[in-house]
Amino acid sequence: MQDAITNALAIKVACDKVNVHYGDTHAIKDVSIDIQDKTVTAFIGPSGCGKSTFLRCINRMNDTIDICKVTGRIELEGDDIYDAGIDPVQLRARVGMVFQKPNPFPKSIYDNVAYGPRIHGIAAGKAELDEIVESALRKAALWNEVKDRLQSPGTGLSGGQQQRLCIARAIATAPEVLLMDEPCSALDPIATAQVEDLIHELRENYSVVIVTHSMQQAARVSQKTAFFHLGFMPEYDDTEKIFSNPSDKRTQDYITGRFG
Amino acid sequence: MTTTTTNAGADWKSPEAAARVRKRHAGDLRLKFAGMAALGFAVLMLAILLVSLFANGYQALRQTHASVTFELSAEHIDAADPQRGNYRAIVQDAVQGLFPGIDNPGELRSAVGILSNGAQNALRSIALNDPSLIGQEVTIDVPLSDPYDQLAKGLVDRDSPEDQRRLKDADIALFDTLQARDVVSLPINWALVTNADSRFPELAGLQGAIWGSFYALLVCFVLSFPTGIAAGIYLEEFAPKNRLTDIVEININNLAAVPSVVFGLLALAVFIGWFGMPRSAPLVGGMTLALMTLPTIIIATRAALKAVPPSIREAALGVGASKHQVVLTHVLPLAMPGILTGTIIGLAQALGETAPLLLIGMNAFITEAPSSLVDSSTALPTQIFIWADSPERGFVARTSAAILVLLAFLIAMNAVAVFLRSRFERRY
Repeated sequence: MQDAITNALAIKVACDKVNVHYGDTHAIKDVSIDIQDKTVTAFIGPSGCGKSTFLRCINRMNDTIDICKVTGRIELEGDDIYDAGIDPVQLRARVGMVFQKPNPFPKSIYDNVAYGPRIHGIAAGKAELDEIVESALRKAALWNEVKDRLQSPGTGLSGGQQQRLCIARAIATAPEVLLMDEPCSALDPIATAQVEDLIHELRENYSVVIVTHSMQQAARVSQKTAFFHLGFMPEYDDTEKIFSNPSDKRTQDYITGRFG
Repeated sequence: MTTTTTNAGADWKSPEAAARVRKRHAGDLRLKFAGMAALGFAVLMLAILLVSLFANGYQALRQTHASVTFELSAEHIDAADPQRGNYRAIVQDAVQGLFPGIDNPGELRSAVGILSNGAQNALRSIALNDPSLIGQEVTIDVPLSDPYDQLAKGLVDRDSPEDQRRLKDADIALFDTLQARDVVSLPINWALVTNADSRFPELAGLQGAIWGSFYALLVCFVLSFPTGIAAGIYLEEFAPKNRLTDIVEININNLAAVPSVVFGLLALAVFIGWFGMPRSAPLVGGMTLALMTLPTIIIATRAALKAVPPSIREAALGVGASKHQVVLTHVLPLAMPGILTGTIIGLAQALGETAPLLLIGMNAFITEAPSSLVDSSTALPTQIFIWADSPERGFVARTSAAILVLLAFLIAMNAVAVFLRSRFERRY
């Protein structure tokens, strides 16, 4: 029943035969995956298997690495994002990203969140900007902790707060897809739980893709899971299925702890 | 796979282990003492330099003056044209008044020599400023000429044979007469910074050189700072990594190591030879120094940009900032302390640079401070060079004093660098 509902959701990002080369290294090999809207999709797999590399293809962050070549087709709502007509800067406003290590700008909390809306001209005036900042901070479950010190530097917050600030910054531009690259790897269990709750809530509005090394986390937060191994993606299915009855031998070995 | 849980082989209490520990501690101590010795040596050398400069230079920080009353008689000055008055005669009259015993022209001439030549200029400017004083008496402090200044400071050995002294017994007697009248004083030598250069040590000052250096550094900064930062940003952030940029990069590093005299020759040939720009001008001096400072700033800018953590770039790119937004609003502000430090080091180097300025003629003898970028002028290092080359005894102390002034400027610039760095420094 659950499966039927999730499968009925629209496809947000369609990837077809994506290959990534770093110079001579073939990092991603023929990966095809359809990422659904309003779904949390988890990428799991051993270190160096290409999860993060693939994630960074979806908002063209790999463009900033000179030796990185991406081939294949990635479509965001039917538009090829590697098309010459697509501006990567605009794309990144539609496909937000949260990084492994909290990386707030050395600016005030307010300016951190307001930066995206400012450069993309999303807010019409100061009042609207204030509103966007407040709603982003509320969604990121940070508002109550920082509402009285919006002008103090974002770098002065604790690690967990910084990561939630980065999430607020990413959702302030109202992206359609939110990419999270091991967002909890630098956080303690309490902050991790807060971020996971947050991911649950974000699913109502966004398509969330999360790379994680913790299989428990993948099981807790995601509806769909893709398993990456040595650049291939052997299996992509409902999270429940992957963790209870994987169809690929490699997936089974990985989740039962036989390697990785 | 086997795992070792206990390290059975190591006996931490054996004499060998104790010897290893002792050896390691001795190594730590040796390294520490080597560092302290090196630092101590550097501090000692600096102290020797400063002490010797002060020992030589403090004499020039004061200048012997005599308070003399002159009569600006209308006989020698035409009130309609005070510029062309016979001020020499006025000084002569005053000296005659000081020493009534003198009755022959030869003696009077050498007695007039006790006062600096600057006395006539001082009187002329008084008459020009206020012509109503013509016909009246004025009392002013006049610097004594260099030999008497040395005598007053006790640098002349009165007991040495007369033929080995510049001042004869009669001259010393004149000075003693003056001193007995209690008109001789030894005030602080403000002329050192308020006067321009002069042939006479007692009048020579650094004002021209200070302004020359200021203008040259201004030109240097205005040209090299924006150019250096822009070039650094392009090379670090935008340039494709290919052979051409490699060659450019190698050449920039080489340029930073080119001897400064070569830049002087280049400036002489290009700026003055081809473009026909004026000689001895701070504008050309500044352009030459900018050529030298540019590689330093480019290298400092690139190093500072490289040191900005990549996470900040990713964060900005991740929210959809374009390349120039990332660089200008995120990376550059974080790199600014490093860039400023590099710039100030470059400018400090430029301030002390002598060779290229000699080649473009900034070692000319110029008795007026420049009032614009294209007026002939000297700079502090070239002024030091000129004074060090001058035979008059008074210039010995003045050379050291000028070096102290130059060092004071350097320290001030470094203080500005430290201030700016702490001001712009941000945690990330």
